[in-house]
Amino acid sequence: MTAPVVEAKASERAATLPPAPARRRGFAVHFAHYKWLYLLLLPGVLYFAVFRYGPMYGVSIAFKDYVPFLGVNGSPWVGVTNFTDFFANPDFPRLLGNTLILAFLNLGIAFPLTIILALLLNEVRLSVLKRTVQTLVYIPHFLSWTIVASLSFLLFALDIGPLFQFVNGLFGTNVDILSDPNWFRPLIVLQEIWKNTGWGTIIFLAALATVDQDQYEAAIIDGAGRFRRVWHITLPGIRSTIIVMLILAIGQMLNTGFEQIYLMTNALNRSVADVFDTYVYFVGITQGAYSYSTAVGLFKSLVGIVLIFGTNWLSKRFNQSGLF
Amino acid sequence: MIRRKQTLAAAVVLSAALALTACGGEAPASDLSSVKIMAPFLEAQPPTADGAVQKKLEELTGKDINITWTPNASYEDKMNITLASAEIPHVLVVQGKTPGFVKNAEAGAFWDLTDKLKDYPNLSTTFPEVQQNASVNGKVYGVYRGRNPIRAAVMFRQDWLDKLGLKAPETTEDLYKVAKAFTEQDPDGNGQNDTYGITIPKWGALGTNSPYDMIETWFGAGNRWTERDGKLVPSFETEEFLEANRFVKKMVDEKLINPDFATFDGTKWNEPFFNGKGGIIVDVDSRVSVLINLFKQANPNDFENKVGFVGSLKGPDGELHAHPTDGYSGFLAIPKSSVKTEADLKNVLTFLDKLNSKDVAVLLNNGIEGVNFALEDGLAATIKPETPEGKVVNTDIKSFAQLGTNVTGNNYYPVKQASEYEQKVFDDRVAVMAEDLKSAVYNPAAAFVSPTYVAKGAQLDNIVADARIKYLAGQTDEQGLKDAIKLWNTSGGDKVKEEINNLWQDNKK
Repeated sequence: MTAPVVEAKASERAATLPPAPARRRGFAVHFAHYKWLYLLLLPGVLYFAVFRYGPMYGVSIAFKDYVPFLGVNGSPWVGVTNFTDFFANPDFPRLLGNTLILAFLNLGIAFPLTIILALLLNEVRLSVLKRTVQTLVYIPHFLSWTIVASLSFLLFALDIGPLFQFVNGLFGTNVDILSDPNWFRPLIVLQEIWKNTGWGTIIFLAALATVDQDQYEAAIIDGAGRFRRVWHITLPGIRSTIIVMLILAIGQMLNTGFEQIYLMTNALNRSVADVFDTYVYFVGITQGAYSYSTAVGLFKSLVGIVLIFGTNWLSKRFNQSGLF
Repeated sequence: MIRRKQTLAAAVVLSAALALTACGGEAPASDLSSVKIMAPFLEAQPPTADGAVQKKLEELTGKDINITWTPNASYEDKMNITLASAEIPHVLVVQGKTPGFVKNAEAGAFWDLTDKLKDYPNLSTTFPEVQQNASVNGKVYGVYRGRNPIRAAVMFRQDWLDKLGLKAPETTEDLYKVAKAFTEQDPDGNGQNDTYGITIPKWGALGTNSPYDMIETWFGAGNRWTERDGKLVPSFETEEFLEANRFVKKMVDEKLINPDFATFDGTKWNEPFFNGKGGIIVDVDSRVSVLINLFKQANPNDFENKVGFVGSLKGPDGELHAHPTDGYSGFLAIPKSSVKTEADLKNVLTFLDKLNSKDVAVLLNNGIEGVNFALEDGLAATIKPETPEGKVVNTDIKSFAQLGTNVTGNNYYPVKQASEYEQKVFDDRVAVMAEDLKSAVYNPAAAFVSPTYVAKGAQLDNIVADARIKYLAGQTDEQGLKDAIKLWNTSGGDKVKEEINNLWQDNKK
């Protein structure tokens, strides 16, 4: 853990300072001493103030009946009508369900796969092979979702797509994978795995490189096999990285990937495909219901915050370090 | 140090000056010597401001023109964002009565032109019913952009039809027979069962002149709304709607329609037709010439008689219910926040009046005589070979035509087709569409905007639109389709019906 080191350094420096005589002057002295650090901090603070916190006043339209012509300030307040409308809407349970199911599928399948792939790569001893495979699995990350969707449409095209023939041959069925609601979620998760698993291994590989090699030698002398070594040395060694990545992933979880889902949606699978993000686009941008869709987006953010704090709390609860 | 302060002072003065000029740009000059327009473009590249067409347009109208060309695909998004910004143009192309537009209009964002247009000879329409269609409950918020009201057509492979010895379809029953023959009787003669009848792309939304919409109208379901027992009801609540969809479903079940109709990419719509996979397309008649051009490009010596077409088809009741569009494609609206006074408004309207004068209409639609077209017997013939200047003009007018309103009819020259055959097909198209116009079934509720529909109409319509596709694909049965229609009613459709009927009654008085 890095935190205690930083604290130690800070106290070291504080020790070299003349003792602050009064509390009032404390901050001034503190500031004078660390002015360069604060200067370094400034761009970041400005960035968040201007681009992240500044625009938040726009969230107020969630509580208004926003008409572009009247402006944010001129539009009338309507209280929580937009929220109650949304919760009363028959779409609401479906959207919440679809979003959460897709989010948990992605988290439950794609996230562990990233770790497994990183572990597998780490075990490859032939460095040429390792590097080649690494490069190959990174490539899909750089293809846009539009291309991934087009590829899927080619591969799963009804009757003629090679993967269509493969899947239906395997199960002895004849379903249109692109429009069958039952296939929508597997398809989305599959695309997500194909596109992002390789890229996700980067951080885990970096973490794996920091695991103490002596422990492996000791384990080998003690007669531990490969799986025992992975289980007792590698995984505990990268545990904190896994937890941090998990919390971050959960924070992003409800961002189910607007582009991907929008591109794969059609009339036949919409019942399982509609998620918060596509709904906000559809209702807000194309129908001009800005206030309503802002309310939906705000609700989504609240759910996201609850999930982050929840995971953080759970992680601390189980005696692990949290993110904050 | 002193120098640094001076630099700083200079920078402050400069930025203040910039801010001032920026403000100066926003406040409209009272004479409006420069007109700002926002319009969509459908080509790969928008015209440049120094192109010959724009120069000529500025010369003819006597105004500096500043056009913001915006890609058609994201036009609606950009328009909504523009309306929320400070940089609002004087003339805004609005593509339709979308909820975003209606909300802004009702909040007073645009000038009400209902009583003003008649004072301008080129803006006082000769098609008042279309202007009524384009209005928001009778209030005219823009100069509509006229379109041929009848565009529905059935296109088929004429060579296949001839080979199988069939007649061009006249009724929906004929359409079924031709589709069946195209599927089962090996029309391409390669001895393999590799063809089907009709190609339909992913196009589910209601009331968008999709193949489904057209067939429903032909069956007598009306056009979006229809009068039943003295009340307006949505077309999908009629028995004819169900009948029409049973008919389409039968064709899907018998594999006369491409099986991937729910996902097939619309931009590839011509490919199965051209490649000899699917022999029929139901769409607007302008696709006829697109298809002919495909065959012509592939083989300039043998492209005739590949594409046949007919207009709307007679329904099972033996009557012709032709499917018309609303006769307009959006309108040119004038925002109040950029055009502030009545005097300015007059100025802009005078400009729009000029925009629809014969000279300018010819410029926007035909181009510049002697540069890209020559007049032959009242037809505009493209000059061949294309000069570099002519080529630019030919490309630019495809975008500039977006500014054309043609509310007094098309007062530019019809385009002379490239060959005698194409000219004949074109003339046929005009004749067929003119004939169908006599039996056009208009949408009686086109002018009415119900508040509930504005708020959630698109979601409501999606319920029925998705159910329609699901029913056709066999994911749900007819009861499922009926349940979806019931759900449309209980989710707010009842209210929409009530509001539309009230507006209709008020308007009758």
